[in-house]
Amino acid sequence: MSASLEKGIHALKEQINAPVASFFSSCVRCGLCAEACLFFTETGNPKYTPIHKLEPMRRVWQQEYTFWGRFAKALGLSKPVTDKELGDWETLVYDSCTLCGRCSMVCPVGNDITYMIRKMREGMAASGHAPEGLVGATKLAVTVGSPMGVKLPALQAQIRQVEAETGLKVPVNVEGADYMLLLSSMEIMNFPEFIGAVAKILDKAKVSWTISSEAFEATNSGIQIGVSEIAAELVQRIVDAADKLKVKNVISPECGHAYMAIRWEGPNLVGKPFSFRVVHVLELLDELRADGRLKLSSKETQRLTYHDPCQVSRRGGVVDQPRRLMDMVAENFDEMPESGTMNWCCGAGGGVSSNERADDLRLQVFKRKKAQLEAVKPDALVSACSNCRIHLEDGLEKYGMDIPVLSLTETIAEHLADE
Amino acid sequence: MSKDLTIGEALRQRGVSRRGFLKFCAATASMMALPPGMAPVIAAALEKARRPSVIWLSFQECTGCTESLTRSHSPTVEGLIFDTISLDYHHTLQAAAGDAAEAARVAAMEENYGNYILVVDGSIPTGNPGFSTIAGISNLDMLRETAAGAAAIVSVGTCAAYGGIPHANPNPTGAASVSDLVSDKPIINVPGCPPIPVVITGVLAHYLTFGTIPELDDLGRPRAHYGQSIHDRCYRRPFYDKGLFAETFDDEGAKKGWCLYKLGCKGPTTYNACATTKWNEGTSFPIESGHPCLGCSEPDFWDGGGFYKALSTPTADITRTAVYAVGAGAAAGIALGAMNRTKQKRMAKEHEKVTIDDLEKGD
Repeated sequence: MSASLEKGIHALKEQINAPVASFFSSCVRCGLCAEACLFFTETGNPKYTPIHKLEPMRRVWQQEYTFWGRFAKALGLSKPVTDKELGDWETLVYDSCTLCGRCSMVCPVGNDITYMIRKMREGMAASGHAPEGLVGATKLAVTVGSPMGVKLPALQAQIRQVEAETGLKVPVNVEGADYMLLLSSMEIMNFPEFIGAVAKILDKAKVSWTISSEAFEATNSGIQIGVSEIAAELVQRIVDAADKLKVKNVISPECGHAYMAIRWEGPNLVGKPFSFRVVHVLELLDELRADGRLKLSSKETQRLTYHDPCQVSRRGGVVDQPRRLMDMVAENFDEMPESGTMNWCCGAGGGVSSNERADDLRLQVFKRKKAQLEAVKPDALVSACSNCRIHLEDGLEKYGMDIPVLSLTETIAEHLADE
Repeated sequence: MSKDLTIGEALRQRGVSRRGFLKFCAATASMMALPPGMAPVIAAALEKARRPSVIWLSFQECTGCTESLTRSHSPTVEGLIFDTISLDYHHTLQAAAGDAAEAARVAAMEENYGNYILVVDGSIPTGNPGFSTIAGISNLDMLRETAAGAAAIVSVGTCAAYGGIPHANPNPTGAASVSDLVSDKPIINVPGCPPIPVVITGVLAHYLTFGTIPELDDLGRPRAHYGQSIHDRCYRRPFYDKGLFAETFDDEGAKKGWCLYKLGCKGPTTYNACATTKWNEGTSFPIESGHPCLGCSEPDFWDGGGFYKALSTPTADITRTAVYAVGAGAAAGIALGAMNRTKQKRMAKEHEKVTIDDLEKGD
């Protein structure tokens, strides 16, 4: 078996459901979505207009599911979508869309364009038009268990290191724990301090928690590339591990799309409700704060601002929690213009960071974040997504801006009260 | 103020900044649905334009249009532009009275023959000339005399544009609109009872900039302002679409701001800019304060069968036809929908599993 145009078109026909049909038929072609997309605003190229990225899928809808479209197709007046067209759209659908969801917010007729791009990727992947980098990451995620190829021994080594530094035990495979922590490969490889920070905070708050050795990876390449079966398989691994350890809650780490994958898409992918609750680590911290179980002894004095990861805030709904936590930990917290649900994407989400072909483009569109940061001129930038964090560091370096990027969880852990 | 001043000079004398002036030009360009690039063109043209002579005739009217245009909100740039035209004759606003006033009109006509703009508000009685006269001259004579030398005529208000309230059944004075009586001059209708102030300044700015009248619809109204129905741009439209209507003025629906269609709103058949431009410096428009649209910018709005009567109250026959039509439409829709659903289900059933080995094309 291999990818083919027929499979791609078949997948698109399968993906076009009632919401998609109503979205396409209600589009008034106003073009407001263009102004909401950083790939358009930073390049000025109209091909990056979000709704235009869906053109092949729109044509399939028209030819297969509308009266006049069928009529025109039957008379040979409208040509079917070709493999070349799908190929031409590959960079639009994968390189220049981070699934950030900003276009869906501004659409005056309420079309969820991001939802449709996610669906269109199903057709692109089935027709063999997914980018090489994402295909590689997906293969690793399925075969090894991590898109970056991180195996259990690597995690164990990092855990030993964290235990030595903090003097705390990082619980692994503890049955009956209240919370099971997931991690993204980026955290394991690039930011192991995150594990230490969580260990310190949960130890102080007396929360029982654990990490599963069988499913510790939070990210989901299946969603980014657009293959629901693979996405479901990756979610199922987490569900199985959580059921096996009989945990009541699963913590999504500082990773935007991991949260979206497990919290929002997860139950739909596996087709049944979870037996546990999913919380983003910031939601948990805010709950602990409200309970009085998260106490700080000092505050960060430098000027801080907060970058909302799209999938955590705009698509995920975790908007107020980080602000309450920032107010708690920072003396000097300033919002960037257009923050919160209308924040601008860093430019590397939705699989763009796994796709080397998009490297230049993602750095080009980082100018939008640069402008936002220039309006505030913070001493440091706080966020809650390791993928954002890596790209923010890349972008800041490229544009010669000397602003350190911090994790909110780690910043809180640094100021924990001893008591 | 000297008549030789250009509009730009006159505005600066009145303390309008260059920035304020350009903002007005940009707003005018967008309001008239011109491309943004036209704003500087408008600015350049207005800057240089000599203040045009305007003669304003008021016939069977209530002065509401004058109130709307001159007293609505104090000094805006639109207001000042309006002040800077050379308003040579206007009953309500001119200082002169009696013979002196009529002399001013005659002088303005002679001096600018063929170039002045004639603004008319109010309808003209054709039944008996004695119904309405000014300085002993009947409205009809004064209109014919003044229109002869005008470059263009602007009919302000529904009375001048379509006869308005004096024209309402049984029309005791034989009231007629300007366009009923004058056929050899370009006429721009700016209906409304009263019309929105910026619409007339927009029309004047357009005339000064391009030397032509704006594109008009089949009722002689500028398309830019009267191109869309109140209903299509109404913020209560989503309630109409959902079928949520206020049934009385004090029910839950009215309190919740639902659609006023059943209370007689004429929004669906009324073309005007109220829902977008709004009134009183953009504060609100009638529907926003809970009252249905009366349809005042449409001909014969007074004879529409009652302001509080829903637009289309179905009669027995119409109901039956409508039921059949809806039934046929629904059947077709359901059939197409069912076909689509079946197709999508079939696609899902025929789905071939995509594994990591299927992500690349075979050779």
